[in-house]
Amino acid sequence: MDKNFQEEELTQIIKFTPPLHKQRHQFVKDLVEKFKPKKVADLGCADCSLLRMLKFCSYIEVLAGLDICASVMKEKMHTLSPLPVDYLQPSERTLTITLHHGSVAHKDPCMLGFDLVTCIELIEHLEESELKKFPEVVFGFMAPKIVVISTPNSDFNPLLPGVMLYRHPDHKFEWNQAQFQSWALETARCYDYSVEFTGVGYPPTGMEKVGFCTQIGVFVRKYPQTDESVQPEKPNEAVYKTVFKIVYPSLKDEKYLQNAVISEVIFTAQIIKHRFMSKQEEHGDDPERKFKFQPSTDCFSDYLGKLVVDKNMEPFVRGNEVYIPLATIFSFPKVSRLCGTFEKLCKLIAGKVTLSSDGSAVMFNIEHENEEN
Amino acid sequence: KTIGSKVSSGLQDMSLRDRGGRRRDFHDLGVNTRQAMVHVQESKTGISGKMIKLTTNHFRLTSRPQWALYQYHVAYSPEMEARRLRSALLFQHEDRIGKTHAFDGSILFLPKKLENKVTELFSRTRNGEDVKITVTLTNELPPTSPTCLQFYNIIFRRLLKMLNLQQIGRNYYNPSDPVSIPNHRLMVWLGFTSSILQYEESIMLCADVSHKVLRRETVLDTMHSLYSQVGEERFRDACAKELIGLIVLTKYNNRTYRIDDIDWDNNPKGTFRKSDGSEISFVEYYKKQYNIEISDWMQPVLISQMKQKRGNIQGSVALIPELCSLTGLTDKMRSDFNMMKDLAIHTRLPPEQRQREIGRLLTYIQKDDNVQKELQNWGLSFDYKSVSFTGRVVQGEKIFQSGNMFDYNPQFADWTKETRGVPLIRAVPVDSWLLVYSRRNYDVANTLLQSLLKVTPSMGIRMNRPNMIEVDDRTEAYLKVLQQRVTPDTNIVVCILSSSRKDKYDAIKKYLCTDCPIPSQCVLARTLSKPQTIMTVATKIALQMNCKMGGELWSVEIPLKQVMIVGIDCYHDTVSGRQSIAGFVASLNQTVTRWFSRCVVQTRGQELVDGIKACLQTALKHWSKWNKCLPSRIFVYRDGVGDGQLNTLVNYEVPQFLDCLKSFGTDYSPRLTVIVVKKRVGARFFAEVGGGLKNPPPGTVVDTVVTRPEWYDFFIVSQTVKNGCVAPTHYNVIYDTSQLKPDHVQRLTYKLCHMYYNWSGIIRVPAPCQYAHKLAFLVGQSIHREPNLMLSDRLYYL
Repeated sequence: MDKNFQEEELTQIIKFTPPLHKQRHQFVKDLVEKFKPKKVADLGCADCSLLRMLKFCSYIEVLAGLDICASVMKEKMHTLSPLPVDYLQPSERTLTITLHHGSVAHKDPCMLGFDLVTCIELIEHLEESELKKFPEVVFGFMAPKIVVISTPNSDFNPLLPGVMLYRHPDHKFEWNQAQFQSWALETARCYDYSVEFTGVGYPPTGMEKVGFCTQIGVFVRKYPQTDESVQPEKPNEAVYKTVFKIVYPSLKDEKYLQNAVISEVIFTAQIIKHRFMSKQEEHGDDPERKFKFQPSTDCFSDYLGKLVVDKNMEPFVRGNEVYIPLATIFSFPKVSRLCGTFEKLCKLIAGKVTLSSDGSAVMFNIEHENEEN
Repeated sequence: KTIGSKVSSGLQDMSLRDRGGRRRDFHDLGVNTRQAMVHVQESKTGISGKMIKLTTNHFRLTSRPQWALYQYHVAYSPEMEARRLRSALLFQHEDRIGKTHAFDGSILFLPKKLENKVTELFSRTRNGEDVKITVTLTNELPPTSPTCLQFYNIIFRRLLKMLNLQQIGRNYYNPSDPVSIPNHRLMVWLGFTSSILQYEESIMLCADVSHKVLRRETVLDTMHSLYSQVGEERFRDACAKELIGLIVLTKYNNRTYRIDDIDWDNNPKGTFRKSDGSEISFVEYYKKQYNIEISDWMQPVLISQMKQKRGNIQGSVALIPELCSLTGLTDKMRSDFNMMKDLAIHTRLPPEQRQREIGRLLTYIQKDDNVQKELQNWGLSFDYKSVSFTGRVVQGEKIFQSGNMFDYNPQFADWTKETRGVPLIRAVPVDSWLLVYSRRNYDVANTLLQSLLKVTPSMGIRMNRPNMIEVDDRTEAYLKVLQQRVTPDTNIVVCILSSSRKDKYDAIKKYLCTDCPIPSQCVLARTLSKPQTIMTVATKIALQMNCKMGGELWSVEIPLKQVMIVGIDCYHDTVSGRQSIAGFVASLNQTVTRWFSRCVVQTRGQELVDGIKACLQTALKHWSKWNKCLPSRIFVYRDGVGDGQLNTLVNYEVPQFLDCLKSFGTDYSPRLTVIVVKKRVGARFFAEVGGGLKNPPPGTVVDTVVTRPEWYDFFIVSQTVKNGCVAPTHYNVIYDTSQLKPDHVQRLTYKLCHMYYNWSGIIRVPAPCQYAHKLAFLVGQSIHREPNLMLSDRLYYL
């Protein structure tokens, strides 16, 4: 076969869809789905694109990024900030994202206690001296449950058009399958991890023996988690510089929970009041309405139908005030879901919402209602 | 392709990148109207009035001497498409080009000059492709060039981002300290608006406090509550009315979208085509991309039209209601007095507090190391103390009413008390009129009648007993009565309404403004229910009725003769087919107390200005009928001009005005002055009084320091506010052959702010603008087509 023809054919074949970097990220995401880690660190996080994807994974509560180059992290780090909606509707989970400036050749206690550490296309950028220290830092010191390491497979390089020596000018080396696997097996053995090999970027048919374009090793720690509190103080001082740290608003934080509860209680009370008042005015021509595109029980109208059953839970007017029993408000699923218990509800709104003298009902003054200018 | 054209489009791209849409030039840079007006070349400042010491929210931008910005064009060989790749390849050479740069993919800005005019760099892509990058110097920009100004604004936005402020729309907000208003499920974020512009003498940052109202509910929540409020039949209509035009935020990205439509035939199970061509359902997409589970699979889908995208692709985006949060206020919320009151507590900051908040932003900038470093790298810095200067407070205007002259306390800008019980300039007798009310408002109707009969004699209004008509409280009943009982002799119809429900009001107004042109006055029963205020209310109603029938209340001295004053404002209807309506009001008499009013309802494919031209023509005919000649001076106060539309106005609308004047014959050449009126401006002025800051008094004129050198412009603070900061109104004289001194134009403008008959005090804009606004609003909200021309000589829309 004509050599030129063969190369041309290959150039056409070697186009990965989705692109290889996306496949690598998807690989990590799938891994997260499988192991559901709470704390994930990305070493060599560069422009934070992997972190940006992982922040949507709902199990993750701590995300950390580490890179040797602060400016590349800084460029996009603001995209890791919470969105306005995250403040408007704080989530159940907590999430803290931190970016550190530093080297994987140095130990810093901030990297302790992680469940998953990813090193995507990282090791090939390390100088020999750094690569030497790398296993001790990641597997010996950080010692997470799982480590993922991906790196180019040089066996594949002849299939890539235009790659002369390495795929990127900053690469210090590129390993073939045998080299990577022997390094990985040795590292795993040394630090008591098991390792499995896989990759992304399938080779063209008939050339399977060159392996994946990106080779990946998934390391799983064999010994159980050492209890953090029992773990002897590691003598290391902080050497990384924190460039970015953001704590996402969460309902686990009393401040956000209280705001959310107060807001929901007042809003719900107003809806009940509004319904109650208009019913009084119009003498109850309020046919039960079914919500067309949502048969859910969350619907206010459905709820109000049930409310009437319990006499004690009905709103009532006394003088210029209308009272909405807290028990009624608590019976709304959104409110009860937020607070959990009735006691918690009372505690959270104490002093923040105007209540009746015995504290059992939300009180509204209706005298100045409808005042207009 | 020439480099020049590419360069300028590149910069636009860059300013847009933050928001992801192409946008117009918000500051109307490069529209130089002053150069054509010889009489203001030397000076555009007025002279009259008392000096007053003012500070403002402007801060000087300072740069090193001989500062310049270096603009480079960057070319790739072979051509690289992706912007990110272009950046990555270029920044491999930070050692050569430096760490401080701004790059949009083809234009590179540097604070320093590279050694050579053309620099060649070599990079290699991940695929091992060698790329030659040619960096060519195309421009050395002085600090005042328009490109540089745009660049400052880009850099400043960068700084705000570095301060961890959240961008929503055009402004930046601080999410960490929100104000919660649970009664209305609202949250208010404090933030800043900022713009850097070339002002009279220097480049300055204008920073103001901005409040973003966010809502704790999703669009789906709103739909649920609407459903329970209005029921099935009116549900879709109600959703369209409430939601279309609102801006939403999403759960998964930091972009804002405008709701343009609701697709009821679609739902989250529907599919769309991704950019790679594959089909995917919304449910799957959000799960896969963002791990978001859509819980309600039956909800409709929101449609947002994208503004021009890169490559001029017009397109629309589908959004899931459950994943969208609402921002801002709806018209309904705005009309909720209690809600606005609750909001005002947080958003109406008094002068000192406002200045303190703005000062806080400057302190953040000053204290943040990263921000300071960025500024230093570019060789820029700010004066952290705001600019102070002197303004003038012009003399208060005297109010004339039937031979009486009134002084009033200029501090309050209100003469309600002084003119109470004094005969009006022109009191129109009410001989035949209808008073329509529903059964339950019988007492209220009588109270109103008795009060009207009590207050009208001293005003000089002769009022007969009306035809009292009781009707069922239904829209059809009101209409039927009007059809049967209104005769050509009827002077006015007064309807008492029991609720502020819009449909009844709309139906009455529509009928009496179009099919049966008779002035009408609707009154809410509630406003008449308080005995302690009934006289004040009746007085106001009597005055309003009088104006609607062609009466005149008071006047100020207008020294110019044979002058016609025109006011124009626009209303943009967001609900029914996005109609635009222009209100057009022109004075008819020497005292500027009678007005000719028309409006233009924009039809598809027609420009508003064509209609405005026709209005001007009829207005001139009416003026000549009233005065037996054509006016020798015409002043047009043009309100409702959006940011970035100035160019269109200068190049298209003004020539149309001139064209219209030409049609009255070659020997007719009146002096024309066109003034653009802008209420929404970032500038705020504070009077320094006894070491503290107060709102400047009404009549404060500012025409130096914070005005623009390329314009003949000035600010007037004409109104007073009870709480918060007074907003000055900006006037930009874009065309002027009047030969009047700036002082006279300013004074005339201020005088006209006294002439709005619905308010016995000074208002924010010249009365004709407010009349035009009222008219356009009524037509846009209730009537939806041009009112009957029989009414055009009366203020029937007040």
